[in-house]
Amino acid sequence: MNGADLPGMLPEMLPRLWTFALRISGDRHDAEDLVQRACVRALERAHQLQPDTSPLSWMFSIVHSTWINELRARSVRKRSSMDWDDDFLENVADPVDKGPEAQLMHGQIISAVERLPEAQRVVMLLVAVEGLSYQEAADVLEVPIGTVMSRLSRARQAVGALLGTPDSKAKASVTRKDSIA
Amino acid sequence: MKTDDLILMAYVDGELSAQQSREVEEHIRASAEAAELVALLQASRLDYKQAFAAQKLPPVPDSLTQKIEAMARAHSAKSAALGANDPSVALSSVAPASAPVRSRLRTVPTWLAAACVAGAFCGGLFLRPGMFPLLSPGTLSSGSATMASSGLSPWVTAAVGYQQLYTRDTLAYADENPAATTKIIDDIRREDKLALRIPDLSSAGLTFKSVRRLSFNNKPLVQIVYLPEKGPPIALCVMKGMKSDQAVSAQVVDTMHVVTWRQAELSYALIGKTEGVDLDTLGKRISNREVEQLFSKASSPLFPPAA
Repeated sequence: MNGADLPGMLPEMLPRLWTFALRISGDRHDAEDLVQRACVRALERAHQLQPDTSPLSWMFSIVHSTWINELRARSVRKRSSMDWDDDFLENVADPVDKGPEAQLMHGQIISAVERLPEAQRVVMLLVAVEGLSYQEAADVLEVPIGTVMSRLSRARQAVGALLGTPDSKAKASVTRKDSIA
Repeated sequence: MKTDDLILMAYVDGELSAQQSREVEEHIRASAEAAELVALLQASRLDYKQAFAAQKLPPVPDSLTQKIEAMARAHSAKSAALGANDPSVALSSVAPASAPVRSRLRTVPTWLAAACVAGAFCGGLFLRPGMFPLLSPGTLSSGSATMASSGLSPWVTAAVGYQQLYTRDTLAYADENPAATTKIIDDIRREDKLALRIPDLSSAGLTFKSVRRLSFNNKPLVQIVYLPEKGPPIALCVMKGMKSDQAVSAQVVDTMHVVTWRQAELSYALIGKTEGVDLDTLGKRISNREVEQLFSKASSPLFPPAA
Protein backbone atom coordinates (compact mmCIF):
# COMPACT_ATOMS: atom_id res chain seq x y z
CA MET A 1 0.00 0.00 0.00
CA ASN A 2 1.47 3.32 -0.97
CA GLY A 3 0.64 6.73 -2.33
CA ALA A 4 0.04 5.44 -5.83
CA ASP A 5 -2.98 3.58 -4.52
CA LEU A 6 -4.40 6.59 -2.75
CA PRO A 7 -6.62 7.96 -5.53
CA GLY A 8 -8.38 4.63 -5.81
CA MET A 9 -8.89 4.46 -2.07
CA LEU A 10 -10.25 7.96 -1.47
CA PRO A 11 -13.81 7.30 -2.68
CA GLU A 12 -13.93 4.23 -0.47
CA MET A 13 -12.68 6.16 2.55
CA LEU A 14 -14.98 9.09 1.91
CA PRO A 15 -17.83 8.09 4.26
CA ARG A 16 -15.45 7.82 7.21
CA LEU A 17 -13.62 11.01 6.30
CA TRP A 18 -16.97 12.76 5.99
CA THR A 19 -18.13 11.51 9.38
CA PHE A 20 -14.87 12.46 11.04
CA ALA A 21 -14.87 15.90 9.43
CA LEU A 22 -18.47 16.42 10.44
CA ARG A 23 -17.74 15.47 14.01
CA ILE A 24 -14.67 17.61 14.45
CA SER A 25 -16.08 20.64 12.66
CA GLY A 26 -19.68 20.32 13.81
CA ASP A 27 -20.93 21.87 10.61
CA ARG A 28 -21.78 20.20 7.34
CA HIS A 29 -20.57 23.03 5.15
CA ASP A 30 -17.27 23.15 6.99
CA ALA A 31 -17.06 19.38 6.77
CA GLU A 32 -17.60 19.35 3.03
CA ASP A 33 -15.01 22.00 2.53
CA LEU A 34 -12.66 20.28 4.91
CA VAL A 35 -12.84 16.88 3.24
CA GLN A 36 -12.34 18.43 -0.14
CA ARG A 37 -9.30 20.40 0.94
CA ALA A 38 -7.85 17.43 2.76
CA CYS A 39 -8.20 15.27 -0.35
CA VAL A 40 -6.51 17.94 -2.45
CA ARG A 41 -3.64 18.06 0.01
CA ALA A 42 -3.42 14.30 0.27
CA LEU A 43 -3.23 13.84 -3.48
CA GLU A 44 -0.56 16.51 -3.73
CA ARG A 45 1.58 14.67 -1.24
CA ALA A 46 0.50 11.11 -1.95
CA HIS A 47 4.13 10.16 -2.46
CA GLN A 48 4.72 10.82 1.25
CA LEU A 49 2.36 8.05 2.32
CA GLN A 50 4.57 5.32 3.72
CA PRO A 51 3.75 1.65 3.13
CA ASP A 52 3.61 1.04 6.87
CA THR A 53 1.17 3.87 7.54
CA SER A 54 -2.54 3.23 7.56
CA PRO A 55 -3.99 5.33 4.74
CA LEU A 56 -7.07 6.06 6.83
CA SER A 57 -4.99 7.31 9.76
CA TRP A 58 -2.97 9.36 7.32
CA MET A 59 -6.11 10.90 5.90
CA PHE A 60 -7.47 11.60 9.38
CA SER A 61 -4.22 13.35 10.12
CA ILE A 62 -4.59 15.58 7.07
CA VAL A 63 -8.24 16.28 7.81
CA HIS A 64 -7.35 17.18 11.37
CA SER A 65 -4.40 19.41 10.54
CA THR A 66 -6.42 21.12 7.82
CA TRP A 67 -9.13 21.83 10.35
CA ILE A 68 -6.67 23.15 12.91
CA ASN A 69 -5.19 25.45 10.28
CA GLU A 70 -8.64 26.62 9.42
CA LEU A 71 -9.45 27.34 13.04
CA ARG A 72 -6.23 29.25 13.40
CA ALA A 73 -7.06 31.23 10.31
CA ARG A 74 -10.43 32.03 11.72
CA SER A 75 -8.96 32.64 15.16
CA VAL A 76 -12.01 31.22 16.78
CA ARG A 77 -12.51 28.27 19.01
CA LYS A 78 -14.76 25.55 17.81
CA ARG A 79 -18.22 26.13 19.06
CA SER A 80 -20.31 23.30 20.39
CA SER A 81 -23.17 23.36 18.01
CA MET A 82 -24.29 19.84 17.49
CA ASP A 83 -28.04 19.46 17.64
CA TRP A 84 -28.15 16.79 20.28
CA ASP A 85 -26.58 19.07 22.85
CA ASP A 86 -29.89 20.84 23.26
CA ASP A 87 -31.59 18.03 25.09
CA PHE A 88 -28.56 16.79 26.87
CA LEU A 89 -29.00 18.35 30.25
CA GLU A 90 -32.46 16.93 30.67
CA ASN A 91 -31.35 13.52 29.55
CA VAL A 92 -28.55 13.22 32.03
CA ALA A 93 -30.27 14.87 34.94
CA ASP A 94 -30.74 11.43 36.38
CA PRO A 95 -28.23 9.16 34.71
CA VAL A 96 -29.03 6.32 37.11
CA ASP A 97 -32.16 5.66 35.19
CA LYS A 98 -30.40 4.45 32.12
CA GLY A 99 -33.14 2.03 31.40
CA PRO A 100 -33.25 -0.40 28.54
CA GLU A 101 -33.38 2.24 25.84
CA ALA A 102 -30.09 1.84 24.09
CA GLN A 103 -30.95 4.80 21.97
CA LEU A 104 -31.10 7.08 24.94
CA MET A 105 -27.82 5.75 26.21
CA HIS A 106 -26.25 6.25 22.82
CA GLY A 107 -27.45 9.81 22.84
CA GLN A 108 -25.97 10.35 26.26
CA ILE A 109 -22.64 8.87 25.28
CA ILE A 110 -22.47 11.05 22.21
CA SER A 111 -23.44 14.11 24.19
CA ALA A 112 -20.88 13.39 26.88
CA VAL A 113 -18.14 13.13 24.28
CA GLU A 114 -19.33 16.25 22.52
CA ARG A 115 -18.98 18.19 25.74
CA LEU A 116 -15.35 17.33 26.24
CA PRO A 117 -12.66 19.94 25.71
CA GLU A 118 -11.63 19.85 22.07
CA ALA A 119 -8.28 18.08 22.49
CA GLN A 120 -9.85 15.33 24.55
CA ARG A 121 -12.85 15.00 22.29
CA VAL A 122 -10.70 14.41 19.22
CA VAL A 123 -8.71 11.74 21.04
CA MET A 124 -11.94 10.02 22.05
CA LEU A 125 -13.19 10.15 18.47
CA LEU A 126 -9.99 8.65 17.14
CA VAL A 127 -9.44 5.97 19.76
CA ALA A 128 -12.84 5.02 21.12
CA VAL A 129 -14.94 5.66 18.02
CA GLU A 130 -12.63 5.15 15.06
CA GLY A 131 -10.66 2.40 16.76
CA LEU A 132 -7.20 3.82 16.21
CA SER A 133 -4.37 2.63 18.42
CA TYR A 134 -2.80 5.12 20.81
CA GLN A 135 0.18 5.35 18.50
CA GLU A 136 -1.95 5.93 15.43
CA ALA A 137 -3.89 8.65 17.25
CA ALA A 138 -0.59 10.20 18.31
CA ASP A 139 0.54 10.19 14.68
CA VAL A 140 -2.72 11.75 13.54
CA LEU A 141 -2.49 14.52 16.11
CA GLU A 142 1.28 14.87 15.90
CA VAL A 143 1.66 14.62 19.66
CA PRO A 144 3.53 12.11 21.85
CA ILE A 145 1.71 8.91 22.67
CA GLY A 146 1.76 9.84 26.36
CA THR A 147 -0.24 12.95 25.56
CA VAL A 148 -2.84 10.87 23.80
CA MET A 149 -3.13 8.53 26.77
CA SER A 150 -3.29 11.38 29.22
CA ARG A 151 -6.01 13.16 27.24
CA LEU A 152 -7.90 9.91 26.91
CA SER A 153 -7.70 9.29 30.64
CA ARG A 154 -9.02 12.75 31.44
CA ALA A 155 -11.72 12.41 28.80
CA ARG A 156 -12.86 9.10 30.22
CA GLN A 157 -12.90 10.43 33.74
CA ALA A 158 -15.17 13.23 32.58
CA VAL A 159 -17.44 10.86 30.66
CA GLY A 160 -17.47 8.48 33.60
CA ALA A 161 -18.44 11.32 35.88
CA LEU A 162 -21.34 12.27 33.62
CA LEU A 163 -22.67 8.85 32.84
CA GLY A 164 -21.61 6.80 35.82
CA THR A 165 -23.34 6.18 39.09
CA PRO A 166 -24.29 9.12 41.30
CA ASP A 167 -21.35 8.11 43.44
CA SER A 168 -18.80 8.43 40.67
CA LYS A 169 -20.60 11.55 39.45
CA ALA A 170 -20.21 13.20 42.82
CA LYS A 171 -16.55 12.38 42.76
CA ALA A 172 -16.21 14.31 39.54
CA SER A 173 -16.11 17.51 41.52
CA VAL A 174 -12.71 16.41 42.80
CA THR A 175 -11.25 16.01 39.35
CA ARG A 176 -12.07 19.29 37.77
CA LYS A 177 -8.78 19.25 35.91
CA ASP A 178 -10.78 17.59 33.15
CA SER A 179 -11.51 20.97 31.76
CA ILE A 180 -7.88 21.48 30.86
CA ALA A 181 -7.39 20.48 27.26
CA MET B 1 -0.24 11.88 38.98
CA LYS B 2 -0.42 11.44 35.25
CA THR B 3 1.45 8.17 35.38
CA ASP B 4 -0.93 7.05 38.07
CA ASP B 5 -3.89 7.92 35.84
CA LEU B 6 -2.46 5.96 32.94
CA ILE B 7 -1.74 2.89 35.02
CA LEU B 8 -5.22 3.02 36.47
CA MET B 9 -6.70 3.31 32.98
CA ALA B 10 -4.69 0.31 31.86
CA TYR B 11 -5.88 -1.55 34.96
CA VAL B 12 -9.52 -0.75 34.25
CA ASP B 13 -9.09 -1.85 30.65
CA GLY B 14 -7.50 -5.13 31.74
CA GLU B 15 -4.20 -4.36 30.10
CA LEU B 16 -1.98 -5.08 33.09
CA SER B 17 -0.38 -8.35 34.09
CA ALA B 18 -1.74 -10.22 37.09
CA GLN B 19 1.13 -9.01 39.22
CA GLN B 20 0.68 -5.40 38.14
CA SER B 21 -3.04 -5.64 38.75
CA ARG B 22 -2.47 -6.86 42.28
CA GLU B 23 -0.15 -3.95 42.93
CA VAL B 24 -2.72 -1.53 41.60
CA GLU B 25 -5.42 -3.07 43.75
CA GLU B 26 -3.28 -2.58 46.81
CA HIS B 27 -2.75 1.00 45.78
CA ILE B 28 -6.49 1.50 45.35
CA ARG B 29 -7.18 0.16 48.82
CA ALA B 30 -4.69 2.61 50.24
CA SER B 31 -5.73 5.64 48.23
CA ALA B 32 -9.24 7.03 48.16
CA GLU B 33 -8.28 9.24 45.27
CA ALA B 34 -7.11 6.26 43.22
CA ALA B 35 -10.33 4.45 44.04
CA GLU B 36 -12.35 7.42 42.84
CA LEU B 37 -10.41 7.54 39.61
CA VAL B 38 -10.95 3.85 39.03
CA ALA B 39 -14.68 4.31 39.60
CA LEU B 40 -14.79 7.07 37.03
CA LEU B 41 -12.74 5.15 34.51
CA GLN B 42 -14.85 2.06 34.97
CA ALA B 43 -17.97 4.12 34.42
CA SER B 44 -16.42 5.30 31.16
CA ARG B 45 -16.17 1.79 29.75
CA LEU B 46 -18.95 2.27 27.23
CA ASP B 47 -19.67 1.13 23.72
CA TYR B 48 -18.66 4.34 22.02
CA LYS B 49 -18.38 2.71 18.63
CA GLN B 50 -21.93 1.48 18.67
CA ALA B 51 -23.25 4.72 20.10
CA PHE B 52 -21.61 6.80 17.40
CA ALA B 53 -22.53 4.31 14.70
CA ALA B 54 -26.15 4.91 15.65
CA GLN B 55 -25.69 8.64 15.44
CA LYS B 56 -27.80 10.26 12.78
CA LEU B 57 -25.55 12.30 10.59
CA PRO B 58 -26.15 13.88 7.22
CA PRO B 59 -25.09 11.54 4.41
CA VAL B 60 -22.07 12.33 2.29
CA PRO B 61 -23.28 15.01 -0.13
CA ASP B 62 -23.46 13.78 -3.71
CA SER B 63 -21.55 16.82 -4.83
CA LEU B 64 -18.67 15.90 -2.53
CA THR B 65 -18.65 12.30 -3.70
CA GLN B 66 -18.47 13.46 -7.29
CA LYS B 67 -15.70 15.94 -6.58
CA ILE B 68 -13.57 13.42 -4.73
CA GLU B 69 -14.06 10.82 -7.43
CA ALA B 70 -13.17 13.33 -10.08
CA MET B 71 -10.09 14.43 -8.14
CA ALA B 72 -8.99 10.85 -7.71
CA ARG B 73 -9.48 10.07 -11.38
CA ALA B 74 -7.68 13.19 -12.47
CA HIS B 75 -4.80 12.46 -10.16
CA SER B 76 -4.49 8.94 -11.46
CA ALA B 77 -4.61 10.25 -14.97
CA LYS B 78 -1.85 12.68 -14.18
CA SER B 79 0.31 9.93 -12.76
CA ALA B 80 -0.37 7.63 -15.65
CA ALA B 81 -0.18 10.24 -18.36
CA LEU B 82 3.52 10.89 -17.99
CA GLY B 83 4.53 9.74 -21.41
CA ALA B 84 1.18 8.24 -22.21
CA ASN B 85 -1.32 10.14 -24.28
CA ASP B 86 -4.32 8.14 -23.38
CA PRO B 87 -5.63 9.27 -20.03
CA SER B 88 -8.70 7.14 -20.44
CA VAL B 89 -6.64 4.09 -19.57
CA ALA B 90 -5.85 5.42 -16.16
CA LEU B 91 -9.27 6.89 -15.71
CA SER B 92 -11.12 3.70 -16.40
CA SER B 93 -8.87 1.80 -14.06
CA VAL B 94 -9.81 3.96 -11.13
CA ALA B 95 -13.49 4.58 -11.19
CA PRO B 96 -16.25 3.98 -13.65
CA ALA B 97 -18.27 6.98 -12.51
CA SER B 98 -20.37 9.29 -14.54
CA ALA B 99 -19.14 10.28 -17.98
CA PRO B 100 -20.14 13.95 -17.85
CA VAL B 101 -17.99 14.56 -14.81
CA ARG B 102 -15.08 12.82 -16.39
CA SER B 103 -15.36 14.81 -19.57
CA ARG B 104 -15.19 18.03 -17.62
CA LEU B 105 -12.49 16.98 -15.25
CA ARG B 106 -10.25 14.61 -17.06
CA THR B 107 -7.38 17.01 -17.51
CA VAL B 108 -5.04 17.40 -14.60
CA PRO B 109 -5.39 21.07 -13.80
CA THR B 110 -9.13 21.09 -13.74
CA TRP B 111 -9.52 19.02 -10.63
CA LEU B 112 -7.67 21.67 -8.80
CA ALA B 113 -9.72 24.35 -10.45
CA ALA B 114 -12.91 22.62 -9.43
CA ALA B 115 -11.71 22.47 -5.88
CA CYS B 116 -10.77 26.11 -5.88
CA VAL B 117 -13.98 27.38 -7.34
CA ALA B 118 -15.89 25.41 -4.79
CA GLY B 119 -14.13 27.36 -2.11
CA ALA B 120 -11.52 24.81 -1.26
CA PHE B 121 -8.93 27.43 -0.56
CA CYS B 122 -9.94 29.11 2.62
CA GLY B 123 -6.49 29.50 4.09
CA GLY B 124 -3.50 27.42 4.84
CA LEU B 125 -2.97 26.87 1.17
CA PHE B 126 0.51 26.38 -0.08
CA LEU B 127 1.16 27.72 -3.50
CA ARG B 128 3.87 26.10 -5.43
CA PRO B 129 5.42 26.64 -8.80
CA GLY B 130 3.65 24.48 -11.28
CA MET B 131 0.67 24.08 -9.03
CA PHE B 132 -1.40 25.92 -11.55
CA PRO B 133 -0.68 24.24 -14.83
CA LEU B 134 -3.68 26.15 -16.15
CA LEU B 135 -1.14 28.82 -16.82
CA SER B 136 1.46 26.69 -18.47
CA PRO B 137 1.70 26.67 -22.23
CA GLY B 138 -0.30 23.95 -23.78
CA THR B 139 -2.60 23.08 -20.96
CA LEU B 140 -5.13 25.79 -21.42
CA SER B 141 -6.91 26.21 -24.69
CA SER B 142 -6.79 29.96 -24.91
CA GLY B 143 -3.70 32.05 -24.96
CA SER B 144 -1.94 30.80 -21.89
CA ALA B 145 1.38 30.82 -23.68
CA THR B 146 1.60 34.50 -22.92
CA MET B 147 2.63 33.60 -19.42
CA ALA B 148 5.76 31.85 -20.55
CA SER B 149 7.20 35.00 -22.03
CA SER B 150 5.75 37.49 -19.63
CA GLY B 151 8.79 37.54 -17.38
CA LEU B 152 6.64 37.45 -14.28
CA SER B 153 8.15 36.02 -11.14
CA PRO B 154 7.06 32.47 -10.40
CA TRP B 155 5.21 33.58 -7.28
CA VAL B 156 3.25 36.12 -9.28
CA THR B 157 2.42 33.42 -11.80
CA ALA B 158 1.12 31.22 -9.02
CA ALA B 159 -0.79 34.08 -7.46
CA VAL B 160 -2.38 34.94 -10.80
CA GLY B 161 -3.43 31.33 -11.21
CA TYR B 162 -4.90 31.38 -7.76
CA GLN B 163 -6.74 34.60 -8.39
CA GLN B 164 -8.01 33.38 -11.72
CA LEU B 165 -9.99 30.74 -9.91
CA TYR B 166 -11.57 33.21 -7.54
CA THR B 167 -15.17 34.14 -7.98
CA ARG B 168 -17.40 36.41 -5.99
CA ASP B 169 -18.91 33.27 -4.54
CA THR B 170 -15.55 32.19 -3.20
CA LEU B 171 -15.63 35.16 -0.90
CA ALA B 172 -18.72 33.85 0.73
CA TYR B 173 -16.24 31.74 2.66
CA ALA B 174 -14.09 34.66 3.65
CA ASP B 175 -13.82 35.53 7.27
CA GLU B 176 -14.78 39.13 7.77
CA ASN B 177 -14.42 39.18 11.50
CA PRO B 178 -12.39 42.34 12.23
CA ALA B 179 -10.78 40.80 15.30
CA ALA B 180 -9.66 37.79 13.31
CA THR B 181 -8.34 40.04 10.58
CA THR B 182 -6.39 42.09 13.08
CA LYS B 183 -4.89 38.90 14.45
CA ILE B 184 -3.87 37.75 10.99
CA ILE B 185 -2.27 41.11 10.28
CA ASP B 186 -0.43 40.95 13.59
CA ASP B 187 0.82 37.47 12.71
CA ILE B 188 2.00 38.65 9.33
CA ARG B 189 3.92 41.51 10.87
CA ARG B 190 5.28 39.59 13.82
CA GLU B 191 5.84 36.07 12.53
CA ASP B 192 6.32 36.62 8.83
CA LYS B 193 8.20 39.86 9.57
CA LEU B 194 6.49 41.49 6.70
CA ALA B 195 5.85 45.21 7.02
CA LEU B 196 2.36 45.00 5.70
CA ARG B 197 0.01 47.86 4.94
CA ILE B 198 -3.57 47.08 4.04
CA PRO B 199 -4.42 49.87 1.61
CA ASP B 200 -7.89 51.35 1.88
CA LEU B 201 -9.09 51.20 -1.72
CA SER B 202 -12.63 52.32 -1.07
CA SER B 203 -11.97 55.47 -3.08
CA ALA B 204 -11.56 53.21 -6.10
CA GLY B 205 -14.81 51.39 -5.30
CA LEU B 206 -13.07 48.38 -3.79
CA THR B 207 -14.20 46.97 -0.49
CA PHE B 208 -11.67 45.15 1.65
CA LYS B 209 -12.81 41.56 2.20
CA SER B 210 -10.03 39.52 3.67
CA VAL B 211 -6.34 39.05 4.23
CA ARG B 212 -4.80 35.60 4.09
CA ARG B 213 -1.45 34.14 4.88
CA LEU B 214 -0.33 31.86 2.11
CA SER B 215 3.02 30.39 1.38
CA PHE B 216 5.04 30.13 -1.75
CA ASN B 217 8.15 27.96 -1.70
CA ASN B 218 7.93 28.07 2.09
CA LYS B 219 8.07 31.83 2.10
CA PRO B 220 5.21 33.92 3.37
CA LEU B 221 2.88 35.32 0.78
CA VAL B 222 0.07 37.64 1.74
CA GLN B 223 -3.11 37.92 -0.25
CA ILE B 224 -5.37 40.89 0.40
CA VAL B 225 -8.70 40.52 -1.33
CA TYR B 226 -11.01 43.34 -2.33
CA LEU B 227 -14.40 43.17 -3.92
CA PRO B 228 -15.40 45.69 -6.57
CA GLU B 229 -19.01 46.75 -6.94
CA LYS B 230 -19.40 44.10 -9.58
CA GLY B 231 -17.24 41.46 -11.15
CA PRO B 232 -14.73 39.06 -9.64
CA PRO B 233 -12.51 39.97 -6.68
CA ILE B 234 -9.23 41.79 -6.97
CA ALA B 235 -6.18 40.76 -5.00
CA LEU B 236 -3.13 42.61 -3.81
CA CYS B 237 -0.46 40.01 -3.17
CA VAL B 238 2.68 40.86 -1.24
CA MET B 239 5.86 38.92 -0.80
CA LYS B 240 9.18 39.76 0.72
CA GLY B 241 12.03 40.15 -1.74
CA MET B 242 15.51 41.55 -1.35
CA LYS B 243 15.70 42.88 -4.86
CA SER B 244 15.89 46.55 -5.61
CA ASP B 245 12.84 48.71 -6.13
CA GLN B 246 11.05 48.45 -9.42
CA ALA B 247 8.51 50.80 -10.89
CA VAL B 248 4.91 49.89 -11.49
CA SER B 249 4.38 47.90 -14.65
CA ALA B 250 1.28 46.28 -16.05
CA GLN B 251 0.73 43.13 -18.03
CA VAL B 252 -2.17 41.06 -19.20
CA VAL B 253 -2.12 37.35 -18.59
CA ASP B 254 -5.02 35.59 -20.22
CA THR B 255 -7.93 37.67 -19.03
CA MET B 256 -6.21 38.85 -15.89
CA HIS B 257 -4.52 42.19 -15.48
CA VAL B 258 -1.40 42.06 -13.40
CA VAL B 259 0.29 45.17 -12.06
CA THR B 260 3.59 44.57 -10.29
CA TRP B 261 6.14 46.70 -8.48
CA ARG B 262 8.80 46.37 -5.83
CA GLN B 263 9.25 48.76 -2.99
CA ALA B 264 11.13 48.66 0.31
CA GLU B 265 12.07 45.02 -0.11
CA LEU B 266 8.53 43.97 -0.77
CA SER B 267 7.19 42.71 -4.07
CA TYR B 268 3.61 43.57 -4.92
CA ALA B 269 1.21 42.19 -7.47
CA LEU B 270 -2.21 43.66 -8.02
CA ILE B 271 -4.26 41.09 -9.85
CA GLY B 272 -7.75 41.13 -11.26
CA LYS B 273 -10.05 41.61 -14.15
CA THR B 274 -10.41 45.23 -14.97
CA GLU B 275 -14.12 45.68 -15.11
CA GLY B 276 -14.44 49.32 -14.17
CA VAL B 277 -11.21 49.38 -12.17
CA ASP B 278 -8.00 50.85 -13.54
CA LEU B 279 -5.47 48.59 -11.87
CA ASP B 280 -2.48 50.39 -13.38
CA THR B 281 -3.47 53.71 -11.84
CA LEU B 282 -4.46 51.98 -8.64
CA GLY B 283 -1.06 50.28 -8.40
CA LYS B 284 0.66 53.63 -8.75
CA ARG B 285 -1.53 55.17 -6.08
CA ILE B 286 -0.75 52.34 -3.69
CA SER B 287 2.98 52.49 -4.36
CA ASN B 288 2.96 56.25 -3.91
CA ARG B 289 1.13 55.80 -0.60
CA GLU B 290 -1.69 57.96 -1.90
CA VAL B 291 -4.25 55.80 -0.16
CA GLU B 292 -4.94 55.43 3.52
CA GLN B 293 -4.33 52.14 5.26
CA LEU B 294 -6.79 49.95 7.10
CA PHE B 295 -6.12 48.22 10.41
CA SER B 296 -3.31 50.62 11.12
CA LYS B 297 -3.84 50.11 14.83
CA ALA B 298 -2.85 46.46 14.89
CA SER B 299 -0.75 45.84 17.95
CA SER B 300 2.60 45.10 16.32
CA PRO B 301 4.94 47.74 15.03
CA LEU B 302 4.60 48.40 11.37
CA PHE B 303 8.22 47.87 10.69
CA PRO B 304 9.60 45.15 12.90
CA PRO B 305 13.31 44.43 12.99
CA ALA B 306 14.60 42.65 9.95
CA ALA B 307 14.66 38.86 10.16
